[in-house]
Amino acid sequence: MEKGVGDIIKSLVKTVKAIQMYGIHHPSAKNCYVPFYEKLTDFFRNDSELNFHIEQFSILHADEIIYEEKEKESSIAFRLFRDGIRNINFTEGLEFDELLLFLETISRISREQDIALNLWEHDFTHIKFYVVEETEQILNYRIPETPIQKIDYDANINRIINKEKIDSKASMDPNLGIEEFNNLKTEISSAKKISTIPLAVNTLINILKTKKSQEIIDSLIELLTLCVDDNDFYNVRRIVHALKQYSNVNPVAKFEDETTIIGFKNMVNTSSKNIFDEFISFIRFFSKESIPHFIKLMVYVKRKNRLLSLRSRMVNIAQNDPTPFLDCLNSKDASILINAIALLGLMKYKDTLTLLQPLMFHSNPLVRIEIITALKNLGHAATIAKFLDDGNNDVRIKALQTLTEIRYPRIYDNLLQRIKSKGFRNLEFTEQKEYFNCLVASDGKGIIKHLKKILFKWLLFGRKKYSIMRKLAAIALANISNTETLEILLHGAKKRNKDIKSACEMALKQK
Amino acid sequence: MSVYESGKNIISLYYALMKAVQVYGLNNEVVQKAAKRFSSYINSLFNIYPRITLVRYRDYIFFNKQRLRFEIDGYASIQFVHDKLKKSNIKSLTLSPGIDKDEIITFASIFKEEQEIFLKKFAEKNLDHIEIEFSTGEEELPDFLQDGERIRKTYFSALSTTRNLMHNLRAKKPVDIRSSKHIVYSLIDSLFQDEFGLLALTALKNFDEYTYNHSLNVGILSLALGQRIGLNKNDLVKLGTSGILHDVGKVIIPKELIYKSQKLTDEEWETLKQHSYYGVKQILKIHGLDEIALTSMIVAYQHHWNYDGTGYPAHRQNQKPILFSKIVRICDSYDAMTTPRTYVPIPYLPHLALQVLWSKRNVFFDPILVKIFTQLLGQYPIESCLELNNGEIGLVVRQNQINSALPIIKIVVNKDEKKIDGKMIDLSVQKELKIVRAIYLQKYGINPASYFVQDFKGLKRADKKYKRSY
Repeated sequence: MEKGVGDIIKSLVKTVKAIQMYGIHHPSAKNCYVPFYEKLTDFFRNDSELNFHIEQFSILHADEIIYEEKEKESSIAFRLFRDGIRNINFTEGLEFDELLLFLETISRISREQDIALNLWEHDFTHIKFYVVEETEQILNYRIPETPIQKIDYDANINRIINKEKIDSKASMDPNLGIEEFNNLKTEISSAKKISTIPLAVNTLINILKTKKSQEIIDSLIELLTLCVDDNDFYNVRRIVHALKQYSNVNPVAKFEDETTIIGFKNMVNTSSKNIFDEFISFIRFFSKESIPHFIKLMVYVKRKNRLLSLRSRMVNIAQNDPTPFLDCLNSKDASILINAIALLGLMKYKDTLTLLQPLMFHSNPLVRIEIITALKNLGHAATIAKFLDDGNNDVRIKALQTLTEIRYPRIYDNLLQRIKSKGFRNLEFTEQKEYFNCLVASDGKGIIKHLKKILFKWLLFGRKKYSIMRKLAAIALANISNTETLEILLHGAKKRNKDIKSACEMALKQK
Repeated sequence: MSVYESGKNIISLYYALMKAVQVYGLNNEVVQKAAKRFSSYINSLFNIYPRITLVRYRDYIFFNKQRLRFEIDGYASIQFVHDKLKKSNIKSLTLSPGIDKDEIITFASIFKEEQEIFLKKFAEKNLDHIEIEFSTGEEELPDFLQDGERIRKTYFSALSTTRNLMHNLRAKKPVDIRSSKHIVYSLIDSLFQDEFGLLALTALKNFDEYTYNHSLNVGILSLALGQRIGLNKNDLVKLGTSGILHDVGKVIIPKELIYKSQKLTDEEWETLKQHSYYGVKQILKIHGLDEIALTSMIVAYQHHWNYDGTGYPAHRQNQKPILFSKIVRICDSYDAMTTPRTYVPIPYLPHLALQVLWSKRNVFFDPILVKIFTQLLGQYPIESCLELNNGEIGLVVRQNQINSALPIIKIVVNKDEKKIDGKMIDLSVQKELKIVRAIYLQKYGINPASYFVQDFKGLKRADKKYKRSY
């Protein structure tokens, strides 16, 4: 035996055991593989390669057994042999990382792991191995006899030439022109870029067009999972579309559980608009039962427009039946509750108001705000008006903004009364402003007259505090923006009263 | 960077230097720059390898024991360096640390000379860091190279695995996926070592086991073509598996139909055409859906699609087959034409089959791939039998990279039409010998495959005789 080979194999065995026991990153393993590498490096000072032959329970070097272990579980030789490895060859130049990868691969205990395949895939530079499946047929193979037959072979050649119209004199120049070379390189590089999955999807869908086959259907369903994992919702959609003609097949069934749907939480925030749009398109095939899970997913959606897309898709799936997600309306999680309310608001369901009624006094103002939005969609302005007395100014502002948006004339007198009340001046400016906006939007009778009155009101005391009212009235007049309001503002701008003058000037400037 | 990549770079840098030396004077800036680039690259490699060795064996070049393949990319540089080494009768060239730009330029300047001048000048110059081993005419198989026995073992192992796979599928038994992957890996390793050694084994056409032999042969031919166009190892695994499994759907077709000697009826033909579809089903059954299985499935479905958009199964004309399907399409047709079958007992001669592919490029086959396939197999592919102007008959055993029309042959029938174990002849060297025509060796009761399979050791012995006449 060559000097040092015995030590090397002992060191290899020790290292493999250490890695199996502690893992490759553990200091105990490191204490084994570092000296092992050093031993190999020493060996390559004098020799250029180190060759091991693998037998069922032993490892040989130069026809001499240097390792033997008949216990299958612990035998390195057996594990290598079992996976078809018959020879391992280390060559000089072996790098530490390369060796580490090799050790990690051969130390895997799982029966599922094929050491030969794993080693081969690593494509080592300085470690070579030989794999063979030896069977009896290999050893017994015999070339078939070729008896001499009375055949006119020359006639056969002529027959072929005539049949195939071969021009024997035509030259076959196999050299590629530059253009051909470039075309081939382009084809190879694009072939490398294209994923196999879409091509496989095409193939299977093509087949399915002419042949109904359970295997093809099953494979498409399997591919569906791969596409979903890859966020390839374009092909997901195509697969589902192709399968929808089979009433007994529900390709999306396996994606409808809560864990899978919540698993889309990163996807819904993808930077690609296309992927998101394809995803929305895909989920239209989901059942109503999946809606509560999607409501939970909505919590993770960061972009408002995407949240709206997801909600409207759910409405589409629900088909005006809120039953599947009614439980969400009892949720203690405000985010879930808000999304459920939003869905309800988007649906044309006759009893929505009844469902929302108990939530109108929910402790969380965000919930109440969402109710206002839902009521807006349903056109329940009178109910929204009830929120003008809400304890939270954000809710009140939302109510005012919503009433402004939907232009609700019946609120006019109510608003005017509130504006004229003394308490109005204690409200925050934002809310006051929304009152005036809402007033303008409600377009009640005599509005200009009332605004003019507020603008020019003569005061003996509290003029300073009242200046905000003048400003708001001036802005409101500017918002009405007709000849009459313009004249009022121009007139006001000429007034000696500084508050009136500045309010009108500011309003005119804004317009 | 892998040994292979380093080797390719060295060859390409050396090619650039030699071209510069041939055109410009040694002090010219172009030569100096090329030498500097070569020198600094070599010296960077000395951090990894103690020395750098180029070995020429047959038509191959090995860089630190790794064969550098003739791929379309870099083909000219490898061919040039190989040609120079061969003409200068160099077996190996070793560079050691310490080599500098000047030594490299000196070597390049004498390396461009004719053999005699080169030998004389090389002895005079005392180039300390360049060591040359000349061929003695008795070239031994380099010890690191897989010998024919190992390639043969790989081939039969692959054949056995293919047979088992098909048998099990036919019998609806579970299929061992690991072994089918092992065989492709081993075939690729053999191909990287000695592509012609492996290609020679495709001469084995077993009449009784047509499907297995054919499947494996298509796998090997596809791998060789894939390697030639520069596919990486992972793509080769997909391609090789696709080649082997392309006809797997035939296990569903009744054997009587596959081996029917009469012309098929329209109905039978329609049934046979279903094998593309059955292939998809079979592959989906055996592999699960990894990349290899998906590619094999696509190829099994598309391998009868033509370049012009026709072919079966029906598809839209603008639906193009994938690259791997186009490769398998060519290799499938070539092997089918050159294999005896019940309905075509006398197969096409290999060069005629190649001419058919050539004449039907642009219609059935991708024209660029047909060109590369022709480049790979040569004008007279391995297993062709050539009648020479001296009346002897030779079997093509290897291609000649330098001149694909003049292969290396083994004389198997003498002037008196007697079967002999004759010498090896490189027709590109022995120019007085001319090819009269290609013929069927079966005429003499000889199966060409026997020279590549049973008599593999004999072939090695014969090789040595050939080297003596070299």
